[in-house]
Amino acid sequence: MKKYFFIPLLLFTVLLAGCINKKIIDDVNITTGIGIDKEGEQYLGSAMIPVYNPDKSIENFIFTAKGTVVRDLMFQMQQTSSQPIVGGSLDVTLFDETVAREGIPHVLDVFLRDPSVGARVHLAVVDGKAKDIFEGKYGDRGNGRYLAELIESNYKTGNLPLTNLHQFLHDYYQKGKDPVLPYLRQTRPDLVNIAGLALFKGEKVVDVLDENKLFYFKLMVDYYSEGALKIKDEHGESFIKSIHSTYNFKVKNRNPYKFSVTLEVDGMLTEHTGKSLEKGEIKRIEKQMEKQIKKECLALLERFQENKIDPVGIGHFIKTQTRNFDFKKWEESYQNASFDVDAKVKIVEVGVIE
Amino acid sequence: MQEPVHERLQISPFMAAFIVMAMQFGIGVLGFQRIVAKEAGYDAWISIIGIGLLVHFIVWIMYRICEAVDGDILTANVYVFGKAIGNTINSFFIIYFISACVAVLGGLVEVIRTWMFPNLSPLLFGSMYLILGIYIVYGGFRTVTGISFFGLVIPSYLLFSFAYAIRYGDFTNLLPILDHSPLELLKSAYSMSFTVLGFGVLLFFHPFIKNPEKSKKWVHGGIFLITLIYAILAIISFAYFPPALLNKSIWATLEMWKIVRLPIIERFEYLGIANWSLIILPNVAICLWTASRVIKHVFHLRQRKGVWFVAAICLLLILIVDSRERMDMFTSFHGKIGFGLAFVYTPLLYLAIIIAKKVKKK
Repeated sequence: MKKYFFIPLLLFTVLLAGCINKKIIDDVNITTGIGIDKEGEQYLGSAMIPVYNPDKSIENFIFTAKGTVVRDLMFQMQQTSSQPIVGGSLDVTLFDETVAREGIPHVLDVFLRDPSVGARVHLAVVDGKAKDIFEGKYGDRGNGRYLAELIESNYKTGNLPLTNLHQFLHDYYQKGKDPVLPYLRQTRPDLVNIAGLALFKGEKVVDVLDENKLFYFKLMVDYYSEGALKIKDEHGESFIKSIHSTYNFKVKNRNPYKFSVTLEVDGMLTEHTGKSLEKGEIKRIEKQMEKQIKKECLALLERFQENKIDPVGIGHFIKTQTRNFDFKKWEESYQNASFDVDAKVKIVEVGVIE
Repeated sequence: MQEPVHERLQISPFMAAFIVMAMQFGIGVLGFQRIVAKEAGYDAWISIIGIGLLVHFIVWIMYRICEAVDGDILTANVYVFGKAIGNTINSFFIIYFISACVAVLGGLVEVIRTWMFPNLSPLLFGSMYLILGIYIVYGGFRTVTGISFFGLVIPSYLLFSFAYAIRYGDFTNLLPILDHSPLELLKSAYSMSFTVLGFGVLLFFHPFIKNPEKSKKWVHGGIFLITLIYAILAIISFAYFPPALLNKSIWATLEMWKIVRLPIIERFEYLGIANWSLIILPNVAICLWTASRVIKHVFHLRQRKGVWFVAAICLLLILIVDSRERMDMFTSFHGKIGFGLAFVYTPLLYLAIIIAKKVKKK
């Protein structure tokens, strides 16, 4: 008798397991994109939900609501939805430039507090309204996936640095470093373009970097930059794709601060408009590219200094080199710091023809 | 000298390591990073290694205690302080292991409620979990050992998941090394000691090891491995989070899973937390077993009856500590007592035994 005492109890554990509050995937609205725009004094929030049609095409449905707190927007959208809206599979969150220039702290809190949001969510600042971007129709995998893959593939094989939610929060909370986000622009009703990089000071956007500067920026913040660059010399234009790159910061002098930045790029020549590659041409292209990288990177560093922002993380770098580092003093000394940029380019491949 | 445990009920020396490791590896793993980094910042990994070395030393003392009295700590207390005082101290261990059980199980309930099911009933979940724990204790100490083994081996694949965080980490966060004073490092080691606690259970199950001499190398190896895991996990977390963000993250380990994306599962935390209830199971089972064994010794109540009593109190306490602040208060209180027992009381007891031996010889 005593032997079988546990059997009913164990049976209970099996049966009671069904008593939990469950969410079945067909019965919920899975948000793939959230947009926050400014309209008057209030936020205009939009949540994009993919609708899977019987013929396997994907359409997008957009809920909108107005309010001052992000959670309130969600709550209002919920009131118009027949099924619960969940954020477990969120792909992108877009902010219009007005919101981004005023700062996005509320939104940060929502993302940090909510355990159901992943750290790979892509954030971006848009030129125009986020809602308008959601209203376009891009690709056949739904707008959410399109926008996420646009940013992802440009990070992996293009000039965009890593900018997902984790990286943004990491840079935001890192002392001596300021976050960046991609700057998107709708060019056609069915295409979105990465138009540049929004540079933050704390939680506010203060400057937008143009798309053609991204290659240089990525060289200074990312080890595996697969970006590409056009080089012009007297024999024609060449297109160089970077295979591998490294950056190295060094402190040369401390009062006033002087940094040396060494950028090494292994590249691959993918197009050349001259008749053929002459002897020594490769060397010339390398020299030309080095000159260009030096000039542009230095200009970028000085531009950041002028705007009092530090997206490269010079402040963090000097902190790792100094015991008992004082960030308050640094803010002042950053303005007086100077940089020495050195570039070493090696073209290791020219393709299958001479 | 206490009557020896029948060989049929003993465990092989190799398995002793798993019990100690299972006790050390509990709910604290999910959020220890913030606590250790509070004082020593990102030098705290040094403190973790330091406390690991100290644990090796304490375990060495524990073996010496058990060898000296040829039994467990219950006999040691009676040997040194006499029956009345010794058993009073022993009954205190019942409370300690009940609170250890509440700290882990309550922590698990809290994590599940925050991350997965906000409306999970602590009463229902707690009682089912404790019944499972009682069932394991009914199987005897060998079953408890088996659960400890599986509770560590099966979820061990989770360690690989932290490789995702390495890719997104910035290891220069740890520089400059030794940017903090020795005092700060000591304070940080003190707060880390709460997380590595639990190895004290060795004092209670020592008579159950078939060949204690042989088990030493395994137990020390196990502790070394756990210290290593803690240190590596701390270093990965320090690289992944900047200091200001880590300070906000109550469960840093869980938050690192937010970056994991697998084709088959969108949110890895759900898999991880579900697995964590398997990691917690040996903790609960060992606590129930130890508490009920002490009851058996002190009050001569059968272990099968005592364990129900222990579980009932655990359940009651879990219902009481149902908010973040209360849980925080409870775990830090429990940690302080555990620290006192492991790092202060144990060496003192050893000294007392040495003195008592000398006195009794005369």
